[in-house]
Amino acid sequence: MADDRQRKFAKQMEIKFTKEHGSNKMEGGEITDKNVTYYRLGVDQNPRKVEMKKAGQEISKKRGLVGYNPMMHCGGIPLGQRALTPSFLSGTDMMVEMDDLHYVNNAAMQQMWDDIRRTCVVGMDMAHETLEKRLGIEVTPETINHYLETLNHALPGGAVVQEHMVETHPALVDDCYVKIFTGDDELADEIDKQFLIDINKEFPAEQAEQLKAAIGKTSWQAAHIPTIVSRTTDGAQTTRWMAMQVGMSFISAYSMCAGEAAVADLSYAAKHAGVIQMGEMLPARRARGPNEPGGIPFGHMADMVQTSRVDPEDPAHIALEVVGAGCMLYDQIWLGSYMSGGVGFTQYATAAYCNNILDDNLYYNVDYINDKYDGAANKGIDNKVKANLDVVKDIATESTIYGIENYEKYPTTLEDHFGGSQRATSLSAAAGSAVSIATGNGNAGLSGWYLSMYLHKEALGRLGFFGYDLQDQCGATNVFSYQSDEGLALELRGPNYPNYAMNVGHQGGYAAITSGAHAGRGDAFAVNPLIKVCFADNLLPFDFTQPRKEFGRGALREFEPAGERSLIIPAK
Amino acid sequence: MAYELQYYPGATSVAENRRKHMSGKVEKLRDISDEDLTLVLGHRAPGSDYPSTHPPLAEMGEPEDSIRELVEATPGAKAGDRVRYVQFVDSMYNAPATPYFRSYNAAINFRGVDPGTLSGRQVVEARERDMEELAKFQIETEMTDPALAGLRGATVHGHSLRLPEDGVMFDMLERVRKEGDVIVMHKDQVGRPIDRKVSLGKPMSEEEAAKRTTIYRADNVAFRDDAEVIEWVHRVFDQRTIYGFKPEN
Repeated sequence: MADDRQRKFAKQMEIKFTKEHGSNKMEGGEITDKNVTYYRLGVDQNPRKVEMKKAGQEISKKRGLVGYNPMMHCGGIPLGQRALTPSFLSGTDMMVEMDDLHYVNNAAMQQMWDDIRRTCVVGMDMAHETLEKRLGIEVTPETINHYLETLNHALPGGAVVQEHMVETHPALVDDCYVKIFTGDDELADEIDKQFLIDINKEFPAEQAEQLKAAIGKTSWQAAHIPTIVSRTTDGAQTTRWMAMQVGMSFISAYSMCAGEAAVADLSYAAKHAGVIQMGEMLPARRARGPNEPGGIPFGHMADMVQTSRVDPEDPAHIALEVVGAGCMLYDQIWLGSYMSGGVGFTQYATAAYCNNILDDNLYYNVDYINDKYDGAANKGIDNKVKANLDVVKDIATESTIYGIENYEKYPTTLEDHFGGSQRATSLSAAAGSAVSIATGNGNAGLSGWYLSMYLHKEALGRLGFFGYDLQDQCGATNVFSYQSDEGLALELRGPNYPNYAMNVGHQGGYAAITSGAHAGRGDAFAVNPLIKVCFADNLLPFDFTQPRKEFGRGALREFEPAGERSLIIPAK
Repeated sequence: MAYELQYYPGATSVAENRRKHMSGKVEKLRDISDEDLTLVLGHRAPGSDYPSTHPPLAEMGEPEDSIRELVEATPGAKAGDRVRYVQFVDSMYNAPATPYFRSYNAAINFRGVDPGTLSGRQVVEARERDMEELAKFQIETEMTDPALAGLRGATVHGHSLRLPEDGVMFDMLERVRKEGDVIVMHKDQVGRPIDRKVSLGKPMSEEEAAKRTTIYRADNVAFRDDAEVIEWVHRVFDQRTIYGFKPEN
């Protein structure tokens, strides 16, 4: 293809590298220049670093114990020996300080994880069967509405049934609620609208039909316990808290005997038999319960992100939003905490969702696929190209070489992705997502990911950190492995998959590849329709239709999180 | 007819340079004295004895063992040297070596070495005198351009950054600088000042670096133009994939 296309990162690179930011003296030059002047201005060139330096000094003075001091870096040579530049959230015009994309400094990132961790989906049908068949209690839309009103009082921590109980302050738990959804239009019509996630309203008609067909006549509760509870305890607490309040609400709403044996059945259904966790529990060596990030399958992540219902005609955009959400949660929060601590993982992850470099690569691929394979990258089922190794090789090779050549033709992009792991993630995510969009097959996309790693390593004589060389050289062998535990469908793999557990910089890409396969087909969901519908809810503090923009709002300090404690602490 | 090692596919100068690095048949371009090498590595004072972690093997009364008979210990192991490192950083702007080809050179041509390969750096750990032998070899030959490659124990991101006007790869810790027409190192690998400057010799011209490099670049030898290398990458990919799917194939 001709090389005259406008690069999607051009504007971002120009502003980052040829315009002054703070006092970094980055004025002039071209984004294609191979040479630059390094002014070694230190941290004082950057507004956020100056703010942090001042805060560090004040803290040291106040507590009588030294703290943050940028001169402690590298034996007295501070950060900023090259220009400290801002970044743009990909797909937006939001320019932010890189420091503000660390999850500690970004309330939106924290809330995205809070909103996942505090969520579970709970079936209603088992409970209703217990009530109707065992106890002979009639369940009607009216009783369901009454129950939901009771539960929306109880779930945040309001008392029912028992007398003289302590309760949580409603203003501290105002983000906690439960809603209901069903594939049964007749039942949905009877549910009080304040409680309903209306599939017909939230999804395009074609997707709504798919979801309703998958969910059928069953009905489900989307329960979100308080952020403050989840943050104080852990993800495994979510179903326990929910089940306790669900059990109490059934007792109250249906005037049951608090001690009768049927209550145990309701509890069992809510805690185990009828509950969908966002993530599976982890083995002892990683030691986390359910609903922790290491247990969230890539297919679940693809379903939590809601771009597919607001921009269904653009599969690449859908995959790119999943990249952002996945890299933030899996790399910055999960691997950045259980595997390692500190700050480094932010650099890995942000490369995939900042400055449009990955976006440019993937949209180039879309054009390439549509030209060569008759529109196979457009949303559809009949237009997909058959998934085979020749197709994987063709698309992944073109994608990877295009991406590599961008680093060579635009040295500012190479400087932006200054680490090989950043480059490897971006290149492979583009290649893998492109293959999955074209074929509608996540494992074919994964195959493209691994080929991209091989090509990258041979082209540049380098790849990423040790993990890339370890896992990415053996990965192709388990893409279609005949051994089921190795050859699992990508939708069902997750961060705890055997050789992914140390895979920094990969998992957001894997989630995107999963998402791309289904977005390319126009599927309403990747693996679980219940999770897709559960997050189709604008009452959640974090907007899952546009994770990257939300991260930008967090970085710009415009995002309003939940679970704040200002009500119960001294005013400042 | 005796089998001749082929090392690497490809019909371009980059592929040929890769074969040279792997075979160890590289051109010597400069000398670095033992004292200068010791200074820039920064592990011990020049002229001092090698610190040891155990007595010489000959004095240890090791038990009889067939492997010991088959594999002769390296000089460093025989002497009981501690394990130390040398870490190189190679610019992506046509430095002669790349991390993988430094590692291949080490693993194929030297004994008792433990190469580690990353994107910005390449580290070799070995018994100290064995490591020095390798470091000296790689520094003195065409594998190294003192302007586009460096000894850096930490802060290695200069490998991907644009070059300063003088063409010397960016180094946050400024371990090297260009003085006149030569590159001098005035700090050791981890950035500690050393007693005197060590000359690493003249930098390569842009043309020479482009001729000797092992990295493909669109502005020199483009990866997409080396069809044989891409073909072999595809072959490796096919075989690894198919083996996992159906090993008998």
